[in-house]
Amino acid sequence: MSAEAPSHTPVLVIRPSLGWRALDLREVWTYRELLGIFVWRDLKVRYRQTFLGALWIVGQPLISMIIFTLLFNRVAHFQAEGGAPYPVFVLSGLLVWNLVANAINRAGNSLIGSSFLISKVYFPRLIIPLSNVVTEIVDFGVAALLLVALMVWYRTLPGITILLLPVAVLIACLMALGVGLWIAALNVEYRDIRVAVPFILQLGMYVTPIVYPLTAIPERYRWLAVLNPMTGIAQTFRASLLRLPVPTTALAWSATAAIVLLVSGGYYFRRMERRFADIL
Amino acid sequence: MPQPSIVIDKVSKRYRLGGFERGYRTLRDALTGKKKGEANELWALRDVSLEVERGEALGLIGHNGAGKSTLLKILSRITEPSSGQATLYGRVASLLEVGTGFHPELTGRENIFLNGAILGMTRAEIRRDFDAIVAFAEIDRFLDTPVKRYSSGMYVRLAFAVAAHLTPEILLIDEVLSVGDAEFQRRCLGRMNEVARSGRTVVFVSHNLASIESLCPRAVLLSRGEIARSGPTREVVAHYLSRRGKAAMVDLRAADRDGEGRARLTGIEVLSADGAEATDQLEFRQPFRVRLHYEVSERMSGASFGFGLLTSNGQRVFISESFEQERTFDLEPGPGSVDCVIETPNIVPAVYRFELWISDIPGVQATDHLVSIGEIEVTPGEQTGGTGVAMLTSGVRGVVYVDTRWSEARSS
Repeated sequence: MSAEAPSHTPVLVIRPSLGWRALDLREVWTYRELLGIFVWRDLKVRYRQTFLGALWIVGQPLISMIIFTLLFNRVAHFQAEGGAPYPVFVLSGLLVWNLVANAINRAGNSLIGSSFLISKVYFPRLIIPLSNVVTEIVDFGVAALLLVALMVWYRTLPGITILLLPVAVLIACLMALGVGLWIAALNVEYRDIRVAVPFILQLGMYVTPIVYPLTAIPERYRWLAVLNPMTGIAQTFRASLLRLPVPTTALAWSATAAIVLLVSGGYYFRRMERRFADIL
Repeated sequence: MPQPSIVIDKVSKRYRLGGFERGYRTLRDALTGKKKGEANELWALRDVSLEVERGEALGLIGHNGAGKSTLLKILSRITEPSSGQATLYGRVASLLEVGTGFHPELTGRENIFLNGAILGMTRAEIRRDFDAIVAFAEIDRFLDTPVKRYSSGMYVRLAFAVAAHLTPEILLIDEVLSVGDAEFQRRCLGRMNEVARSGRTVVFVSHNLASIESLCPRAVLLSRGEIARSGPTREVVAHYLSRRGKAAMVDLRAADRDGEGRARLTGIEVLSADGAEATDQLEFRQPFRVRLHYEVSERMSGASFGFGLLTSNGQRVFISESFEQERTFDLEPGPGSVDCVIETPNIVPAVYRFELWISDIPGVQATDHLVSIGEIEVTPGEQTGGTGVAMLTSGVRGVVYVDTRWSEARSS
């Protein structure tokens, strides 16, 4: 690198910013290597040190699946939509729910967890929650192996609707990132939010048809359940695996909600970003 | 004609201090309309204007809380100025801490990539300089060992080695040479000299005046957020030294800390043992008094105060904690202060700094904790006990002075 090339010298102007700021995704893109490194670090640490940690990623949904199957299928006699085996039905719901809930939780706490970096070095802060969501996708992939095994066991094959699977996962991730950005930024200023988030997520799982079918909800209240954008995501994810009809309306609503949350979350995050280092 | 590399134009930074409140709010505060603090402001920087030329090495000196670190944080884009503007021409890298983002579970090799990326190097650059970094750090045998098993010396060497291979046009460095042993510090200084000579711009903050003098032809003295003096380093340092000794309380309200906010240390004073006068210079073996000022937001019972004396490279010389003397304090909301008298400071003449903390679960968790605060100088003075303590720095003499008696051994 030569010192004499003034025409190519990048010029950086630092001044106080006011109000809303641009998302500046181009800058995030120039820092994509750092994003990759953060993901790599988190995965390495998680999968290296604890064999148990990796086991937990599969074990947690497995145990939940068994309990919910016993409870809702054997005791309460719920039947899965389309006659799918109940364990497969529950596990597929749990996987996509866990993806979203874990990503929201981790992204939401990510800034506080990285305060040692934020106060010492500059990079677009969006990278931090973003890397957490990407890490969760990898965990989701690992846990999905269990679902594959279970589907082979029950000989349930997906149909052509499997093509919708990436769409459902993508919307789930956008939704998780959007909510995660809101919480991460709010968390810096209002510390008591971090206590509420896990509780709300846990409640959320029960008001969303994850461990029970949507058909278990009385018909006249069903529209209420569909208003919950997670319903569309879970239903689409299942439809793609279990040869169920695609819930087009719910899917469109979920996609819209995810994008609104993501864009608003991104702008709110950027607006609060300038204060992170001063507050943390 | 010299080209500017950094142009700082009337930059100010104001911190709002919520009295004794914590920096963040709770949602409950917001919902109940509780406002954060009453316009209690602190100007960490006020209308600072400064130009640094391309290829210049500039030293920033000043007391704690004078605004040096805040200025570097603004130039590194970690925090925004409240007003004013700074323009930087060229790629910037900042080194505010050695080993930022090191992960203890990862190996030395992995941390080189992690830390390099955090400091702004591309993967290709890290790969290119990888061997040089390993050689500089002298850790090749431990390259694949998790850094949590490294000695602190190895850790610092590795961290600095990565940083030393940054190749931006502008390098901002905050007090990173104060770690590591003397030999390694010398090598780092050498490396930084190379960097400065290679046409890069360096802004260097340090309490080590000797390294500022050897590295930077020009220096700026900051005092209470303003430029007090600027010019050839020798003159600025001389001016700075001449003003020392009149120091009063060091304001800690805007200092970096680890704390949850219920109690905050707001200032430290070093006084003569009888508390009559403030000082920051002590004679060898002269008893002295440390006064800690604090503010608490809610009643705290059984609080213990503590401080440690640190050498200029961050090593603890000793600590004192009030609960160990069976003295704890019940603190009422609001400001207050406590004193500790150091009766027999058998420490070698050198410059020392403080580490301070408050805890209401003494020995377990600190409620507020600050490291590397203030500065006192112990001078050889008159009372050298008749034997004469040589004017050697702590690095050579060790840090404690122990009375010893020599005699010829009687053979039996």
